[in-house]
Amino acid sequence: MTNRRNLDQFENELEAIGYITERDDRIALTAFLATELGKPLLVSGPAGVGKTEIAKVLSKVLDAPLIRLQCYEGLDETKALYEWNYQRQLLKIQMGREHLQEEDLFSTNYLLPRPLLQALLSEKRTVLLIDEIDKTDSEFEAFLFELLGEFQVTIPEMGTIKAKEQPMVVLTSNGERELSDGLKRRCIFLHVEPPSVNKEVRILRAKVPDLPERLALEVARAVNVLRERLALNKIPSVSETMDWAKALLVMGKTGLDPAWVDATLTLLLKSQDDVELFYREMGAERLLFEASKMAQVERHVHGQQL
Amino acid sequence: MDNNYDNNLVSELDRHIVEFAQLLRTVGLKISPSEISDATEGLTLIGLVDREKVEAVLQATLVKNVQHISAFKEAFRAYFASLEQKEAWQKEVAQKTSQWNEKIENTYQDLRFQDNELDISEEQRAVYASLPEKDKQRLRDFLEKSSNGTRSGVPVDHSYQPMVERVLRGSLEYWRKKLNEDDPILSPGSTDGVLSEVERALRDREVEVISRDLKKISPEEWPEVIRLIRRLSQRLASQVTRRYRAARRRGGLDMRSTLRKNLRYGGVLVDRSYRSRRKGRPRIVLLCDISGSMLKYTEFVWQFVYGLASVVSGIKTFAFGEALIPLTGKFRKGQTFEVMVKEALSVSGKEWGGGTNLANALETLQKKYPDTFTKQTLLLIVSDAQTLEGDKAAALLGEVQRHVRQVLWLNTLPERRWQETPYVKAFLPFCQMYECYTLAHLSQILNKQF
Repeated sequence: MTNRRNLDQFENELEAIGYITERDDRIALTAFLATELGKPLLVSGPAGVGKTEIAKVLSKVLDAPLIRLQCYEGLDETKALYEWNYQRQLLKIQMGREHLQEEDLFSTNYLLPRPLLQALLSEKRTVLLIDEIDKTDSEFEAFLFELLGEFQVTIPEMGTIKAKEQPMVVLTSNGERELSDGLKRRCIFLHVEPPSVNKEVRILRAKVPDLPERLALEVARAVNVLRERLALNKIPSVSETMDWAKALLVMGKTGLDPAWVDATLTLLLKSQDDVELFYREMGAERLLFEASKMAQVERHVHGQQL
Repeated sequence: MDNNYDNNLVSELDRHIVEFAQLLRTVGLKISPSEISDATEGLTLIGLVDREKVEAVLQATLVKNVQHISAFKEAFRAYFASLEQKEAWQKEVAQKTSQWNEKIENTYQDLRFQDNELDISEEQRAVYASLPEKDKQRLRDFLEKSSNGTRSGVPVDHSYQPMVERVLRGSLEYWRKKLNEDDPILSPGSTDGVLSEVERALRDREVEVISRDLKKISPEEWPEVIRLIRRLSQRLASQVTRRYRAARRRGGLDMRSTLRKNLRYGGVLVDRSYRSRRKGRPRIVLLCDISGSMLKYTEFVWQFVYGLASVVSGIKTFAFGEALIPLTGKFRKGQTFEVMVKEALSVSGKEWGGGTNLANALETLQKKYPDTFTKQTLLLIVSDAQTLEGDKAAALLGEVQRHVRQVLWLNTLPERRWQETPYVKAFLPFCQMYECYTLAHLSQILNKQF
């Protein structure tokens, strides 16, 4: 290993490509651990906190192409691992009836590699993202064990294929289903919570450079209040916060006001139930009041520290 | 020499990690040897300088479930505490244990009949030991008086002892229920200072909403609980796969498997295979007990019903007390369960929170709603199994069970109390019964079943 890095370097590289972490969220340390130990990284947390983003960022830091397998109910190995190219096999049979050997048909030429196999066959190290693993059934999960533990797969007609370069595997889960112990045992585990106000401000400032700091702070605080105080079905994600901030910028606003919150609420709350809940239990004025109260508390704490 | 020293250092670290993993196991985490080795490797990589980083490494390698994070944090704090702190905890535990032992020892002195020890269980002794002095005295008086003879002055011998024991057991059982309904009164637990500190901290924090008895959850925590229940019921609803599976002549042609099958005929399509839907969506029929004994769990039952009804279409809901109350199609947003049930009751002229008669409910279901039970039906009963006419109900349940796919019974009574409930045993052969009085139970059941 020539390009072995230590934790500080790793953190710096994350920072350099614009991925914002904090010491408290432990994202950098855990991801570093997974890459160095060569273990799959299992990331859990609510929707929209940036789980998938971690894989994308790792792909940039490790300079490895990202291969993505989006999981869904009913996903099976023909979609995830490989499929024989039947048309081609049939053609071959028609062409060479007399001199045909079985090996002629079941070779890599007739194999259609799907994401998992692509990751194993790749000459270069890859980042393999298995997104929303909790959406699949437990049979598929068990099928992944061989890949995650030994970085190899077995194809009955051909034998075992070992990874040329061990891919960095990132699995994400929304916690819809409890994952099996076997899977969890093979992984390094990271739980991601929605970002703190400070972290979100930093993200906003990095992704929407035109946004003034004061506005970013107001937006982040308001979204934080929404996430913490209301029992929403779906909490606003970081990207939705960003959309909201961008809308604010486009409209040329310099601060939040209740009328504007009312008008753009649907950028943050995307189900009728949540919107109703918001107006029943909070409302725009109260939201802004709570957010400004939070600012006062922060200032107070800050003042004490000084 | 240097080498030797190094080896010692590593093994000391290993010993601590293994010991720490043992501690985590006792508080409910599952940890395999491979995970311990990951932790060791991780620590070697990151180093032991920064306490917070050490904690992060151990958490990433040993904790694989969000719900276990708080337990891990407490365990980490206690295990890696200062030596003085650990000694203080140890002392405290030793003191508590000796106090407890003394208390139990005293019961052997106190509870005697004509100088013979009585045959009562450890738990009952513990109940006695935790009674106020006044009530203890009353029990002692009773024993003393009965040792001396009957009220009319007839002397008694040792053959009366079983009778006296029975009376005493009954009385202690009454006190047990009065003191604490479900939690067993047990000894202070571990004699290990660190472990008992972790257990205390977990009890104090009570962060584990999920493992608390549902009737003890305060109103402020309900939003959180409701969210959890919704999530769980969503899982119940989404368990059906939309996958197609090969079968004979149903649905479209399965090209992939047809071609594969026919490669052996040189690609001439001789055999064909077809797709079919794997399994139909189960039709859920929910039968909820709303009798007096279940009142404390109403909020839970209601949230579960509502959560299910809002994600599964075509769910049929019935409540039952003394009679059956159909609730299907009566849900309205923002309405509480109580209001809804009361409305339904006023229509049918019955009473809320009365007795329980499952037999009656099942009979009415079969008669009035004959199309409720099909081979697709998943019958979900939420009840504490305390019902009138239990034998008849069990027989009816047996009959129903033959007509449906599955009968699931969520019992709000803890499993160790099932023995005392007369009819639980009669119901057991006809359904899968699970204890279900915390959210952890509910999610466990869903994991096991679906």
